[in-house]
Amino acid sequence: MAAFMLSRRTAVLCRTLKGISASKTVLPANSQCGLLLQTASYNPRPLRLNIRDPYIPDKDSEKTPEWQKTAKYDRKLFGRYGSASGIDPASLWPSHKELDKIIAEENEWHPPLEVMLKNIAIKEKAETEKRLAKEKLIAANMAKMPKMVADWRRQKREAKLKLKEEKARRTKLLAEARERFGYAVDPRSPKFLEMVAEIEKEEKKKKKLLKRRLKEEQAAGVVQPPPTSS
Amino acid sequence: MSFPKKPGGKATDILQNLPRITLANLRPEPGSKKLEQRRGRGQHGGNRSGRGHKGERQRGNRPRLGFVGGSTPFYLAIPKYGYNEGHSCRPQYQPLSLKRLQYLIDLGRVDPTQPIDLTQLVNARGVTVQPLKRDYGVQLVDEGADIFAAKINIEVQRASEGAIAAIERNGGVVTTSFYDPISLGILIKPVPFFLRGQPIPRRMLPGEDMVPYYTNAENRGYLADPEKIQQARLALAQKYGYILPDISKDELYHMLSMRKDVRQIFFGLAPGWVVNMTEKKILKPTDEKLLKYYSS
Repeated sequence: MAAFMLSRRTAVLCRTLKGISASKTVLPANSQCGLLLQTASYNPRPLRLNIRDPYIPDKDSEKTPEWQKTAKYDRKLFGRYGSASGIDPASLWPSHKELDKIIAEENEWHPPLEVMLKNIAIKEKAETEKRLAKEKLIAANMAKMPKMVADWRRQKREAKLKLKEEKARRTKLLAEARERFGYAVDPRSPKFLEMVAEIEKEEKKKKKLLKRRLKEEQAAGVVQPPPTSS
Repeated sequence: MSFPKKPGGKATDILQNLPRITLANLRPEPGSKKLEQRRGRGQHGGNRSGRGHKGERQRGNRPRLGFVGGSTPFYLAIPKYGYNEGHSCRPQYQPLSLKRLQYLIDLGRVDPTQPIDLTQLVNARGVTVQPLKRDYGVQLVDEGADIFAAKINIEVQRASEGAIAAIERNGGVVTTSFYDPISLGILIKPVPFFLRGQPIPRRMLPGEDMVPYYTNAENRGYLADPEKIQQARLALAQKYGYILPDISKDELYHMLSMRKDVRQIFFGLAPGWVVNMTEKKILKPTDEKLLKYYSS
């Protein structure tokens, strides 16, 4: 049998029972009990077991307190006094019913290693999947970023240009009104608005004329080349 | 004359002729004992006895600790943050430095020729573990890794990489294993447990949060694959730059290869046995159901 690890106290107890009383002794490897005993290199606490005068309570009398009649106390008596306590050693272990309860509790609260490893694997898989999905999303969005940045910049530029154009048009109209009326007109007044409407009408007419001219030119241009080419 | 000279000479004569040591012959080293300050006596200790002049100071009516005269005190002004939240549920591991371990081995308190267990460390008064204060065991710390020189088979609950490297460099073996609180209480105080008369219980497996730690070969966990542990040993030797000594050729190989079973608490004692101290007997159960339960 492999070497037995006894604590100092038992080593001292063995030695005192055998009649040796020295704190540092080197016992031979094969002493009487045939076991390898460990030595203590300092004086350990003595174990006072009180074997000569044990108190074993009387189970039948009424005077003994209740707690001295319990199974727990019986076990402690056996632990202290051994067979001299008069307790059946078979009662130290749990009975079949108690054992069933213990096994049920253990199955519920302490799953076996395989189950635990499986749970851990599942959790880890779920975690990695979540992380990968998040990273994928981030990567996809980052790939879109240059285009989005360019779009946004273009939009901002266009808005700026529009504003500039608007301002230019307004200043032009104001100048026009100034010229026509001879004094600075408030752009909100009805006169100004009438003037604006007039200008717009004129411009529309001009555009229409331009368009007609272009169409005529195109038609004339289309008609002319075929006769020259043919 | 050819008398052989007695060793020691005059010193031994003096020692032999002096009277026995009693309290009357002893006195402390001059300068080691400083007289205590006695208040209310003499020119310097008397008058107001070091209490100051009037007010709360002299009359002993100062307000409570932390009070700052009426404004919000520091300990209430600072907002709360969950640094200590759940501190009583966190497992704690008493640190054991390699320096202390070497000290214990050198003084002969811990025997390096036997597997070193938490029981051995507590018997040698090397560490103090309090299972009721959420201590789950002992952790090995790197301090003293450069002076460590002992070949040991040690079992702790956590170990840092540097400590594992230092022990394996000297040809030793480290194992990290888990003890649930009841098993830990039994492990550190075996004799009071044996006096209780209970059968040795089975050691429980670690919880789901600790299983990855103890199944990892890098931490030399007791649930890890032995082959992976060997690979990890080689990898660590490469990382720290030492040649891994071959322990299979060692004379103490049998001792170094001793490991506890997953459900075992003590070397040489199986779960289910009752150890009786008075009669020095071990009682083993014979019922099949009990045997099946305890050996599963």
